[in-house]
Amino acid sequence: MSTTSLLVIAILILATLGYFLASKRAISTAGGDRRKLHSLPVYYGSNAAMFTAIPALGVLLIWLLAQPMLVEQNVLSTIPDKLITEGSSIGLVMSDVRRVADGLEVVVSTGTLSQNETLKLDTEQTDIRALLAGVGAVVGSDVLPEVLEAAQNYRAQTKTGQLWMVLIIAPLALIGFALSVLAAKPTFRARNTVERGILALLVFAASLAILTTIGIVFSMLFESINFFKLHSWTDFFFGGSWAPNFRGDSDLSILPLLWGTIYISITALIVAVPVGLFAAIYLSEYAGPRVRAFAKPLLEILAGIPTIVYGLFALLTVGPALVRVFGRGEEGLLGVEWMSGATAVLTAGLVMGIMLIPFVSSLSDDIINAVPQSLRDGSLGLGATPSETIRQVVLPAALPGIVGAVLLAASRAIGETMIVVLGAGAIAKFSANPLEAMTTITTRIVSQLTGDTDFASPETLVAFALGLTLFVLTLGLNVIALYIVRKYREQYD
Amino acid sequence: MNDKNIMESHMGTTAIKISARDVKVYYGDNHAIKDVSIDIEDKTVTAFIGPSGCGKSTFLRCLNRMNDTIDICKVTGSIRIDDEDIYDRRVDPVQLRAKVGMVFQKPNPFPKSIYDNVAYGPRIHGLAQNKADLDDIVERALRRGAIWNEVKDRLQSPGTGLSGGQQQRLCIARAVATEPEVLLMDEPCSALDPIATAQVEELIDELRQSFSVVIVTHSMQQAARVSQKTAFFHLGNMVEYGETGQIFTTPQDPRTESYITGRIG
Repeated sequence: MSTTSLLVIAILILATLGYFLASKRAISTAGGDRRKLHSLPVYYGSNAAMFTAIPALGVLLIWLLAQPMLVEQNVLSTIPDKLITEGSSIGLVMSDVRRVADGLEVVVSTGTLSQNETLKLDTEQTDIRALLAGVGAVVGSDVLPEVLEAAQNYRAQTKTGQLWMVLIIAPLALIGFALSVLAAKPTFRARNTVERGILALLVFAASLAILTTIGIVFSMLFESINFFKLHSWTDFFFGGSWAPNFRGDSDLSILPLLWGTIYISITALIVAVPVGLFAAIYLSEYAGPRVRAFAKPLLEILAGIPTIVYGLFALLTVGPALVRVFGRGEEGLLGVEWMSGATAVLTAGLVMGIMLIPFVSSLSDDIINAVPQSLRDGSLGLGATPSETIRQVVLPAALPGIVGAVLLAASRAIGETMIVVLGAGAIAKFSANPLEAMTTITTRIVSQLTGDTDFASPETLVAFALGLTLFVLTLGLNVIALYIVRKYREQYD
Repeated sequence: MNDKNIMESHMGTTAIKISARDVKVYYGDNHAIKDVSIDIEDKTVTAFIGPSGCGKSTFLRCLNRMNDTIDICKVTGSIRIDDEDIYDRRVDPVQLRAKVGMVFQKPNPFPKSIYDNVAYGPRIHGLAQNKADLDDIVERALRRGAIWNEVKDRLQSPGTGLSGGQQQRLCIARAVATEPEVLLMDEPCSALDPIATAQVEELIDELRQSFSVVIVTHSMQQAARVSQKTAFFHLGNMVEYGETGQIFTTPQDPRTESYITGRIG
């Protein structure tokens, strides 16, 4: 068992011990009378467990993240330059070093060689590659003496690091344990301390989500900057052709993809908005409680279907059905030859529209229900019919919210991937014909990153620039939608 | 109904506008109104008073079939307006509501301009031949709602931007614009401050010239100020109905007396 897991187990045992000791001590210092305690014994115990475990585990986490980086930095500076010029990059040499070092650790742990024997290894006398292969660690080429030396260095430094880790973290846990157990006296406000700890946990959870978002944006941003170093940004944003070529010299422009994305999204919205809105109006204004109880969950099941299933539906059902109508020449229903393959803008758009129906209807339903009943009463009381009331009072009042719902649906449509991968095709072009295959930003990201890729060519890095553009696009739509929805909400509160 | 004769002396007309007989209302299993019979006169303000939950608002809503919008509500008995049974199959509740306007407890202007709020009813019922005609109807309604002077310069601004009292007068103007014959008011002043209440009460008194007004109120003072006839409701029964002065000075029923003297309610 590794040092780290032993350390973690020790800390946890100490924390458990602290829990019981502190709660016991709190009761005994109060002379056995719980009412003299500021807090319940549970809080004294939790306080001790908290102070034992959290600082120690926190430092451990940081240590585990920082140590490999520092060790690698040190080892890297000892590697002679000639090794690097031979190989393709410093990263490859370093990964060799790491593999050899890890392999030697395995050799020791399986008992093939002792710790001292591995330290005396020499490339001249032993076939290290074969030795490592014997324990399942595969090294790409014969191990050079410099690499072995660096690997030994790596191992030594890691070992020292681990020793220091234990030497620092174990006392930290013990100090926390001792202080918090000693603090367990009736006057100590353990409840307040524990609750502050819980508050910190909540803040941590909230900031984690935000920090992750920021992290994602930055990683996309850096890769995109790398891309724009290799490819001109004017061509990416304003060029008219998309023709990636992995031998280099590709046309990488977003406009044809953007056109496909927007065309398919608009088709989807043309399907989803009227159907979803009418469904919402029926459900919220006309349907009786029994129909509503039955129809609303049924509609929302649509939202639970994985999009890949919609994609299959597009590819196997909707596409061929459309071909039967618009294609096949004389054999087709219309006797025309407008559509050749199942993948087309219309196929993807129709299916995506179906996917968005529950999204639009459930949001609109909430918004229509939020229109105060007093407005409906007012209109009905003036002798308006229910349909006049909906058209002239309810819908205008709900309109900003409905616009927000539609924008949210649009941002989902733009970011949707699986349906378009299967239903839209792979040809990037500007065309107004909905029966032709077209492609979208998301589909191209998938195809640029699948298969053998090295993340240094513009052909793969373009995926990040595409992703970032898509992100900015949907973020913009979401911001506008949320702004509109919020502004609308203020009207009735 | 002998006290009616006293009324006639200063009212001049005796026409009965609404005549209800044995009206019962059920909300599901709950028997909300029990055998209410009442004759409401034309060009008179009739007040319904009583403690909360006594059925006065429910009964008011029967008079223009607003209870139809509540699924579990069932109404039996007969209610005749101008001798026509409003619960008859042939009566369209939508047309009935054009004839029997309603003003609600909370001001509920539509999220439209002041002009469009008032023009809503006339537009739906096709009361105006052209734009000028409609302008005329809107102005007349706003004048009758005693709010014309305050809003004449901003007819296109939203009705929701007015103050509470102005909103309620706008709603009254909106109800008046469809030229109803009866105006039902469900606690029209309960959301208003005393000044706005005074303005609305003054307005109700003026509306009496043209309509039969039925007002539900929690405030006995208000009933005494604005109405000519008062009906006292208690636990779903109409306990007593008569001239307002008589109800407040010499009530016949001990329950009425208890209520107006503040012992129950």
